[in-house]
Amino acid sequence: MLKAVLKIEDDEEVGAGETAAVLASPAETAAECRARAEVYHLLSGVFVEEPSQEFLAALRSPEAQQQFAEAGLKFDADFTAADADELMEALAIEYTTLFANSGGFPPVESVRLFGRFKQEPNFETMQTYKRLGFTLRPGRFEVFADQIGVELMFVAELLERAASALEQGDTAGHRRLDKEIKRFWTLHLGRWVRGYSQLIERTAEHSFYREMARFLHGFAVEEIEAMGLRIDDADQARLEVPKAEVRVEFDPDEPVCNGCVSDAIAGQGNAPGNVHRLHDLR
Amino acid sequence: MEMPKVTRRTFLKVSAGTGAAAAAAPRLLNAMENDLGGKDPSPVTGAERKAIPINCHVCNIQDGAIAYVENDRVVKLEGNPEHVSTRGRLCAKGNSGMWYSYDPDRILYPMKRVGARGEGKWKRITWDEALTELAAKLDAAIKEDPNTIMLKYGRQRTGGVIDRFMNTLGSATVVNHTSVCESSKKIGMEPTWGPDIETPDFANAKYVLNFGSNILEAAYFHNPLSQRITEGRVDNQMKIVTFDVRLSNTAGFSDEWVPVHPGTDGAVALAMGHVILRDDLQDSDFINTWTNVTVAELKAHYKQYTPEWAAKISGVPAETIERIATEFATTKPATLFTYRGPAKHLYGSYNEKACMMLPIMTGNIEKQGGYCLPRGMGWPQPSPEPGKPKKGSYLSHPPDYPLAGHKVSHLVPFWIAEGKQKINVYITYQDNPVYTNPGAMAVWGKLFKDEKLIPYLVSMSPFMGEETALVDLILPDCPYLERWEPESMPNSLWPWLGIRQPVHKALGESRENRVMMRDIIWKLDPDGKRGMKQFWNFKDGEDYMRHHFDNIPGLKEAGGLDFMKKHGVWPIYGKLNPKTGKVSDKTGREIKAEYGLFKKELSDGDMAGAAVGANGIISKNGKAIGVKRNGKNYVGFPTGNRIINVRIDQWAEYGFNPMPTFKRVPWHENMKDDELVMTTFKLNVHKQSRTAAVKWLAEIAHSNPMWINAATAAKIGVKTGDLVRVESKVGHLVTKAYVTEGIHPKTVAIPTGFGHWEYGRLATLKLKEKKAEWSHGQDDPDLNNVWWDDKGVHPNNIIPAVADPIGGSQGWYDTVVKVTKAGPNDKYGDSQGDWQKHYEAYKETIRYAYTGDLHRKMHPEMASWAGPDSVKHKGGGGH
Repeated sequence: MLKAVLKIEDDEEVGAGETAAVLASPAETAAECRARAEVYHLLSGVFVEEPSQEFLAALRSPEAQQQFAEAGLKFDADFTAADADELMEALAIEYTTLFANSGGFPPVESVRLFGRFKQEPNFETMQTYKRLGFTLRPGRFEVFADQIGVELMFVAELLERAASALEQGDTAGHRRLDKEIKRFWTLHLGRWVRGYSQLIERTAEHSFYREMARFLHGFAVEEIEAMGLRIDDADQARLEVPKAEVRVEFDPDEPVCNGCVSDAIAGQGNAPGNVHRLHDLR
Repeated sequence: MEMPKVTRRTFLKVSAGTGAAAAAAPRLLNAMENDLGGKDPSPVTGAERKAIPINCHVCNIQDGAIAYVENDRVVKLEGNPEHVSTRGRLCAKGNSGMWYSYDPDRILYPMKRVGARGEGKWKRITWDEALTELAAKLDAAIKEDPNTIMLKYGRQRTGGVIDRFMNTLGSATVVNHTSVCESSKKIGMEPTWGPDIETPDFANAKYVLNFGSNILEAAYFHNPLSQRITEGRVDNQMKIVTFDVRLSNTAGFSDEWVPVHPGTDGAVALAMGHVILRDDLQDSDFINTWTNVTVAELKAHYKQYTPEWAAKISGVPAETIERIATEFATTKPATLFTYRGPAKHLYGSYNEKACMMLPIMTGNIEKQGGYCLPRGMGWPQPSPEPGKPKKGSYLSHPPDYPLAGHKVSHLVPFWIAEGKQKINVYITYQDNPVYTNPGAMAVWGKLFKDEKLIPYLVSMSPFMGEETALVDLILPDCPYLERWEPESMPNSLWPWLGIRQPVHKALGESRENRVMMRDIIWKLDPDGKRGMKQFWNFKDGEDYMRHHFDNIPGLKEAGGLDFMKKHGVWPIYGKLNPKTGKVSDKTGREIKAEYGLFKKELSDGDMAGAAVGANGIISKNGKAIGVKRNGKNYVGFPTGNRIINVRIDQWAEYGFNPMPTFKRVPWHENMKDDELVMTTFKLNVHKQSRTAAVKWLAEIAHSNPMWINAATAAKIGVKTGDLVRVESKVGHLVTKAYVTEGIHPKTVAIPTGFGHWEYGRLATLKLKEKKAEWSHGQDDPDLNNVWWDDKGVHPNNIIPAVADPIGGSQGWYDTVVKVTKAGPNDKYGDSQGDWQKHYEAYKETIRYAYTGDLHRKMHPEMASWAGPDSVKHKGGGGH
């Protein structure tokens, strides 16, 4: 899996925008698809649920650590030197804080772009998965169709299919899948993942999620550029309505129940008929 | 032909003279939105959305609603036109209900606490892990003593599941929330005429007395009753008189608003009774026939309650009392309604009783336009059912409050702290006493943080409320749009059965309550050998509903559960008339309600084997089934003797006055000039604790300045918007003032439902006000559009516990406070209570219990009572 990380780094050495020209042969394109799929799978695994012992062991292997370092990721000792059981526990708690607890940041497109669970992106992604022959099953936990890990996993699957298509000489099939991936990035991932990953990078207290979020951000930027897409990220860049432009029926600095004119009752002799004079009480 | 050159203005001028022609022109397009309910098209595709009828459960009025669903997502909620009570109308809260489903702060997975209680550190765990852990705790508790398992619920409409669960575990420690709700109203009414609430026939009344209820905005039952009171006012020229400390919108809608000193409604009602009886305006025939007192007895008893006496106590002028009493007694039909205003005081039960005596003595009972019995329907429970626990629970039936049949839940923390009953596992369901109870965090927060007193704390909740934030294990419950529940609420004169059904798939791994409880039992008794599993033998919520609905006579023939799923309510009395807004028959006339329920005659079959006692009580198989009056066998009232008990003998047994009476809150009697009574109230878009995170509602109302009378405010130099310090004997808070003539000068009032410190980002605004502390300094994109910074101030920390010695109710409106301009060290939002001071307040209030030393002092008229030791039926006054 981690070779894929290096593969991307290798690509960068080739130079952005030159990828298509350099990796012209179907075999090379297929290899690139598989390499990209590996990265997507890696990132999906990071964000779709709490990491397992096996996953963490693979990520902390010397080979992986070296490759991460070369990729510019700087994990702290809380990841590199922690006891395996303690690390898994710490990351489970951090995952809950960041992604599952009330007041956290659900890694769900509907929440990030619409402020609520299960809005349009949830149904659109589900329809897209279905149209392309996928069903969504629960992992250790139920997840939304527009959860970040699922969206990344979907692209990974398409890339593997695209690679297979090329390997079988089905260039039309590859092109069709390539379009699907670009379309999915344009409609979904591209609209929120860059902003969201930066948020998590700044928010995470554990270096694992901080660095993985940083990696996700860099990877997303590269992918969008490599695919030649122009997509505005709406996460963390949503339109803010200046307070001055909010039209309210009353002064928000005043109590919501204002409107009574005290003079009308007190001492002016023109109290509404249904209101008893309060001097009755004194 | 050359057209003259015209401007847009010229074109538009044409409209001035052609309006009638335009109106007469054919119109073939009808906006489907304007159809009268039941249908809803997608504005994008035009396709009709899936309409699923439900019973709303944002609050507890139980409005009939329809959820419109597109792609398994609720896009709109509106009223169900087939629902006889709410007739297609839904309030702002009901319209916003889908926020519960999609709230970004919703808890979607089981979570286990990993830090200190309340620290906010959690770990997501699987259901299997959660159930295994909980089952082990329950198992150990059962082995020690099943009653060490406590379940306290707030709003529960499970239709019997909670009792089934606790009975299965063998625990009697089930505690509700009713003592902070309206229990003294219930206890004032139940021994008198049977049910715990009245149904005022506002639509047909000519005169209404409203004591302390905000019918148009917040009362039980806000939606259906606000419709009827509006009809009565507009169509029937009914007069409404509202007694309230505050000029609520209902008071403003009334013909007269009569401000009363808090807690004195009962005195006013008794004085009105005095006038009615003095002037011989009572319905003697009704009193003599249908109550357990004679007119002569009543006249003699009421002689003491003069208008002058009541005027001194209440501040309502004697001539006002005289006039309104006469108007009420001479205008037919007339009705009366109360809610928390009279009931939420030290002697709230007496107040309620005094109020309901007015329609009783004027014979307005069960008449068109009068004061009617509630109408409801029941449903059978799945078989087999577990038996009741063998041993009673102190917390469920505290022996010092034997008449408080709806429990005294707000004193539970003190009793647990005193070791009255040991708790091993505390389960909470839709409850949040850390916010909603007197003492709030200072009392319940302290209790829940004490792991010795509460070793294991479990919350069944979809939201991180103030209570859930303190627990050890969270089981994600479903909000109401994902649950199956049977429903019936006596909120109009037409009885109905309703259903709540899931309108979309439960989000995440939420499980509805009955399924969650089944799974706990199955974990405890996987092979059925413990005898528990047999009571939980159902596949899912729908399967459970079949047991409820498939065998009810009438509904069974209509289709049982399938009918309920399609219509949401049964019976369907008629069609909603778009012109009148009423449920009408084929001729367009409103379906008439049935009146005089107590005068239904028993059939020959009913009478077979029955015996008529000396006092006319008709008994069969050891149970009173009716009463013989004037040679006829009537079903009577649902009391033990089938008549209205003006005199409640059981009260006398405990040294309480069995006749209508009034006891002033002792500490209100000699208040100093600078002392005020602090009351609370609900706004029309919020309920007690669970709406502050609903964005649409929070945008409408999110802060709660304290109402203070203009004259009072002038004395302390306070104007609207100024910060004030409000100090009670148990704590203080700092809030903003709202200066108005619309409140009694000796009262201040703070709306509830605000000032959350938990319940998600919108309720707390933590992400706005403490960016560095919350969310690690990050902006939440959605909150950037929240234009308000004020979340309000919660008053409950400074409200001490007060318990009505009869009804057990919390005296919400008894708190004496001093209000001053805030000082330099006072900060808006400060709210501090002190456990020790709250504990002292509790010790003080139990002195008024029948076992307490102040009981006899408060009841000099009961001097012949032989004291607590003379009581025969000690303990367990519960229903």
